[in-house]
Amino acid sequence: MSRIEKGLVIAAFFVWSAMMVGAGYVGRMLLAPVELRTERIYRYGSNPHALLDEAWGYVRDHFVGVVPSDTVREYGAVRGALMTLNDRYTTFVEPQARALERDHMRGSFGGIGVGFARNERGEIVLSPMPDGPAAKAGVREGDILVGIDGVPLPSPADLEDVARIRGAVGAPVTIEVLRGPQRERLTFTIIRQMIEVKSVEWRAITTTTGSAPMTIGYVRIRNFTERTGEEVKRALAALSAADSQAYLIDLRDNGGGSLAAAVEVASEFLGDGVVAIEQRRDHLEIVHRVRKGRAKPADGHPVAVLVNGNTASAAEIVAGAIQDHRRGLLIGEKTFGKGSVQLIFELSDGSAVRVTSAKWLTPERRELDGVGLTPDIEVTGDADAQLERALRALGDAAR
Amino acid sequence: MERLNSTGSSPVKNIALGLLGMFIGALIFILGMTAGVVLSRPGGLLFTGASPFPPTNIAASAGASDAAAGQAELDFALIKDVIGRLRAQWYGEMPSSAQLTDGAIKGLVNALGDEFTQYVEPRFAKMLNEDITGAFEGIGATLKQTPSGSIQIVRTFPGMPAERGGVLPGDIIEAVDGVSTQGLNSTEVAAMVRGPRGTEVTLTLRRAGRSRPFQVTLVRERIEIPLVSSRMVGDGSIGYISLFDFSQPASKQLEKHLKEILDKQPKALILDLRDNPGGLLSQAKEVGDIFLKRGTFVIERDYRGNKKVTSTTDRGIAQDIPMVVLVNGGSASAAEIVAGALQDRGRATLIGEKTFGKGSVQSPQTLSNGGQLRITIERWYTPNDRAIHGVGITPDYVVSNPPEDVRDGKDPQLEAAIEFLTTGKTPAPTPIPTVAPTPLP
Repeated sequence: MSRIEKGLVIAAFFVWSAMMVGAGYVGRMLLAPVELRTERIYRYGSNPHALLDEAWGYVRDHFVGVVPSDTVREYGAVRGALMTLNDRYTTFVEPQARALERDHMRGSFGGIGVGFARNERGEIVLSPMPDGPAAKAGVREGDILVGIDGVPLPSPADLEDVARIRGAVGAPVTIEVLRGPQRERLTFTIIRQMIEVKSVEWRAITTTTGSAPMTIGYVRIRNFTERTGEEVKRALAALSAADSQAYLIDLRDNGGGSLAAAVEVASEFLGDGVVAIEQRRDHLEIVHRVRKGRAKPADGHPVAVLVNGNTASAAEIVAGAIQDHRRGLLIGEKTFGKGSVQLIFELSDGSAVRVTSAKWLTPERRELDGVGLTPDIEVTGDADAQLERALRALGDAAR
Repeated sequence: MERLNSTGSSPVKNIALGLLGMFIGALIFILGMTAGVVLSRPGGLLFTGASPFPPTNIAASAGASDAAAGQAELDFALIKDVIGRLRAQWYGEMPSSAQLTDGAIKGLVNALGDEFTQYVEPRFAKMLNEDITGAFEGIGATLKQTPSGSIQIVRTFPGMPAERGGVLPGDIIEAVDGVSTQGLNSTEVAAMVRGPRGTEVTLTLRRAGRSRPFQVTLVRERIEIPLVSSRMVGDGSIGYISLFDFSQPASKQLEKHLKEILDKQPKALILDLRDNPGGLLSQAKEVGDIFLKRGTFVIERDYRGNKKVTSTTDRGIAQDIPMVVLVNGGSASAAEIVAGALQDRGRATLIGEKTFGKGSVQSPQTLSNGGQLRITIERWYTPNDRAIHGVGITPDYVVSNPPEDVRDGKDPQLEAAIEFLTTGKTPAPTPIPTVAPTPLP
């Protein structure tokens, strides 16, 4: 080897060493913090399942006391995970409560036609619907429910326990009741029938104030079920046939329900435009428009809406749309202020999770969460005074 | 020309090529390494944490050996489903996977219905581990978790930072140094409040009768409270001893004070265990030895179903003198064991309020994420086999200390004890509003 060659080999050796040191340095710099991070992410980011197993393993093996069932454990974990969202409307619903909620949203279910109330002793008092299956079987107002299908009710019983009285249409249910001061024990076996719970009540009110008597169509909506749109349409048709000159929608104590039903009801009173704007994550907006193309009996007649502090959610959508379109006056108290939409997902075992999926805005893009709608005419407290004030306002508007 | 001629044979060229090769090799090495690191980052293509709950090979997890051992395989299918739906639809910003998992473990543990079995998130578990002396440096207050989940001050110690700063028992801690206590348990909040002496901590408190939360900034101190205090009460014929807790020298110090009192030949004793949060079981047993003859002191049952009976020896210096034990809702753990044993063995009359009901031992278990699981592994029962855990000890005579009396420096419980020991008159029970359960006929 020549001197030059030797020199080059030595130079190459140095260059190579320097590069390796450099590579090592860069590599270390890049790896040192990231190694920690990836490790952390592996441990409780990518595999929380393993961590839950690990935690549960310790509990199962060492806890002194009754270890809850798999179901209770799983429900607990779901509730705990949802708690980290800090959103009181994103909740877990157990199967029996979900079944009740589903019936409520549908507005119909297989049942025996009894209402429930709780007395001061915490017992469940029955109130059979006239001509319902329970009434026909001989159940009387005031009977106290103590057992369903041979299983005694816990004391105090909650609505989920009582929900077992519902079931498939055509299937029998046996109930045990106590009657009268002697608390006589009676047993009834009743075939369940389709029970419809009306969400809408209506009547024509004739006002005598002013020069001439006037008919006002009064529609009270308790909540928004899948059938509410249809019920409101029928009510308006009947009230129109009774020559109503104005319409009063009572949304007091209406806690909401189906968003679709709210859009349908609002469409009955609006000609065109937007009912509500649903704003999802990442600024994605879904605009709910007024449904057109059929007869709207209230068209051309004055409208007013009664609201109070318990008017919430879907009910606020209807009231907010009518207010923003200046279609009618809101009368009563400031509304609840629930400006979020929940999607309900049913899970494999019949339980469900309600997930806040959107905020909704009024047509004029007002946000209502925690704010509520302020009525055009504020009347606080007395329900009769609110109704009277609304009838007077409609009388003035019709003249 | 020369170059062309030497094609393939010039050592200079070979070395140059070799250098180039090495350079390219090194470049690939560096690039490869960088690429690997970048890709393995969250959000990178190779990051496996992108999916919230990817299908996991259970064989690699803790559940596997259990499954192999014939136990039911753990299956968190429901929570995986829920979190998947949240990721798809939830309006707000998703918490990190780590936060969700912490929440899920807390929920899991809450399902046990035992307020002492707790999960401590990694960030707080770290504080607990780092700060061994921290238990004695803080603000001088005890905390508990209310059934609704908020963190409440139970007691403040006289002359200590919390009391001097105007913190009152019953105050709810909403935040510590601006960190919300929402979703945190008492152990986690205590970890935040504690810290080296001389440092500041700011509490955001909510108080009944005040419309808004307010802030109090306190300087942490070393918490030193006399373990035992004693004096003669009544007309000077009754010895009174108050025991602060059951830490290491409790029984020795108690015995020392007791000897001084016994020298004065009292006709009765009052042992004050009010607001005594407990401590070491060994100390409780030695305190029991002072007052009790031979017999059962406490029964322990562990998670294996084993029963262990601990008995008192017969070497006490105050086995026969008439005695009242004062207890209240702040008497917990070791204090309840002593009170329960003295009551069951007929050694003393208990006056005051029902005790806390913490008759259990927790074992801390560190999980692989650094979080700590504190599991109740053992429960205590009184000599007559009454459960302490979740039940508490009900005194023979219930006497309460209304807050207004405490403010005026009065102590109706102590007065009732003195009256009882002097005249034998039993205290009139304080009416407690109760709601009668309605049994189904």
